[in-house]
This record gives sequence, structure tokens and C-alpha cells, in this order.
Amino acid sequence: MGMKALAAVGLVAGVLSGLLGIGGGVIIVPGLATFGRLDQHRAQAASLAAIIPIAAIGAVLYALDGELDLLAAGLLGVGSLLGVRLGTGLMHRMDAAWLRRAFGLLLVAVAITLLVL
Amino acid sequence: MSVELALALIAAGLVAGFTAGLFGIGGGIVLVPAVVLLLGFDQHSAQGTSLAVMIPAALFGSWRHYRRGRLEPRHAALVAAGGILGSAAGGLLALSLDEAVLRRIFAVLVVVVAVRLLMPDGPRRIVRFFAGSG
Repeated sequence: MGMKALAAVGLVAGVLSGLLGIGGGVIIVPGLATFGRLDQHRAQAASLAAIIPIAAIGAVLYALDGELDLLAAGLLGVGSLLGVRLGTGLMHRMDAAWLRRAFGLLLVAVAITLLVL
Repeated sequence: MSVELALALIAAGLVAGFTAGLFGIGGGIVLVPAVVLLLGFDQHSAQGTSLAVMIPAALFGSWRHYRRGRLEPRHAALVAAGGILGSAAGGLLALSLDEAVLRRIFAVLVVVVAVRLLMPDGPRRIVRFFAGSG
């Protein structure tokens, strides 16, 4: 296990998390698989555990600046818990290749809208 | 908060969670633009709120893995050690940036995720090339 490499993976993911308000799993899961030699399940497990303090530090900093709507977060959280269950359940049952592409195109449109807004 | 806005927030969370689960992407990548474009949040508060949504989700998810004996605490602690430093730096940087600038940086991330969805094998091949056979 490359200890320095794992800390570096955390550092990069942390910067992205704080800068963009995301969890950082996109970086951490492949990083743990590559440098920590973990299988997919274990990489996801360790990633989720690491995201707890990473997201918490970011959330506190944003909250201190008045940029965190706790009520909105609660409502979004309730919806997303339901959504994740539906989504992961469906993922195992269908071939989502064309849906992936359609969603990829939707994200391109979202990116353009964010750029010109 | 109006009932309409409350329902819209639950719906936005539902869509973000659904796509995250279905496509294996992070929830924030959908959550942040959804509340910015559809509900009129500014980029900073969308990101701060998104971070708060992640905490219970990550707690719940890692607890489930822990019960199945899949949680490697040393790996998690090493990533978290670097991650705490990084998120403090990234958060302070974001809060010092102009809203429009931050929104454009976020748009670049959305493009990266879109490319990964449109070309699932392309980026993986590149990563394998640089990381060795894995």
C-alpha cells in the first residue's frame, strides 16, 4: 500500500470537493483501487468513510460564510436517499448503455448553460 | 420556505440520487446544477448545501459496508488525512472566487463527467496506460 500515494489521492479529491461541492469519490475510488490495491467494494467503502470528514470540513467552511441552506440540504437528502435506492436497483436490471449516452448529452447541455448563464 | 420549493428540492434530490445510482457517478454533479439552473441557487450556496447532503449519505453507506466487513480503516484514514487538508484549501479558494468564475469551473467538471458517460472505455484505457497494468 502506497501510504503517500493514498494521502495524495485524498489531497487532490479534497481540493476538488471543497472547490466544487462534490464528494470526491470520482477520484478516491479509482485511487484506492490502484494505489491501495482494494477491490471495487472495498474501495467504495473506504471512499465513503473518507468522504465523511472531507465533506464535513467543506460544509463547515461554506456554512461559516452563510452559503449552506440546512433545510434545503435536508429535503434534498430525503429525495436523494430514495433516488439512490431506485437507481442502483435499476442499474443491476437493465442495460443502460443508450441511457448513459443520452444522459451524457444532457450533461453537455447543462455545462453549456452553466457557461453562458 | 414554500411548499412548492420544498417539493422541488425533494424532487431534485430524487433525480440526483437516481442518476448517481444508475450511472455510478457522484450525486453532487447533478445536485449542484439542478438547484442552480432550476431553483435559482447561487453557485456557492448550491455547493455548500451539496456538501451537507453528502455527509449523511456517506455515513449511511460506509456503515452498511462496515457491517459487511468491507471497511479498511487504514486506507480510509490515509485518504481522509490528505482530504481534510485539501478540502479546507479548496473550500477557502471557492469562497474567495467570484460566483460566475466558480460556475464556469464547475461546468468544466460537468464536461469531464459527460465525456466519461459518452466514452466509458476511452478514459479507462488512458488511466490504465499511466497506472500500469493494474
